[in-house]
Amino acid sequence: MKATLELINQMQADGVIGKYTIGGAVGATFYLAPAATVDVDVFTTFPSESAGPLLSLGPIYEYLKARGCREEDEYIVVGDWPVQFLSPSDELDREAIAESVSIEIEGTRTWVMTAEHLVAIALRTGRPKDRSRVLQFLEQRAVDRSKLHRIIAQHGLTSKWNQFEQRYLDGKDE
Amino acid sequence: MSKPKLQARLAALSFSEKIKILERLRDREKAIAAAGLRRAEKKSKADELQRSHK
Repeated sequence: MKATLELINQMQADGVIGKYTIGGAVGATFYLAPAATVDVDVFTTFPSESAGPLLSLGPIYEYLKARGCREEDEYIVVGDWPVQFLSPSDELDREAIAESVSIEIEGTRTWVMTAEHLVAIALRTGRPKDRSRVLQFLEQRAVDRSKLHRIIAQHGLTSKWNQFEQRYLDGKDE
Repeated sequence: MSKPKLQARLAALSFSEKIKILERLRDREKAIAAAGLRRAEKKSKADELQRSHK
């Protein structure tokens, strides 16, 4: 992971990507027990956002391939981890990047999403493994409930939350 | 040890220690996939994420 993060940080220093944050299962592992995953999800902005929402990941792949990385399905293998680069698709993603938490892994600086943004994005995505992750965060009391509810309301996820609560929490949410 | 206690104990590990566990889990997933013991996912994660926005 250290080699992966060092190369991503170098890519950021070289201006290929802007601010980035780790989401998905690896991001969640910062707060929870480790859960099996095969890749690292990196949400990133680009130095020039003027191109609109349809940004090409071409420059990232070009940069990394020139440094020995290889493409593998929808990932690019950086160091020993397959990485999926995701550009923000809405305001929730942009906020998750902007408000991410700075941490260190084996002496290397990186950023992970806040627990509340990880839960909100999992709720939005809504696959079975995402719902399971939301439950884990709640059961392990790893989220600030009032902050989570603010984010949910602000990003139009209230009906999804209500459905989730009804189905899985049975009104037990405090 | 009960499952919640184990989860709590694992959650309390340092992130570096948890990453090492993740790497072992990832290698196990890859080995299972390589042995053809898991049905291939039909849709990529990007497709799923894209779909979730609609």
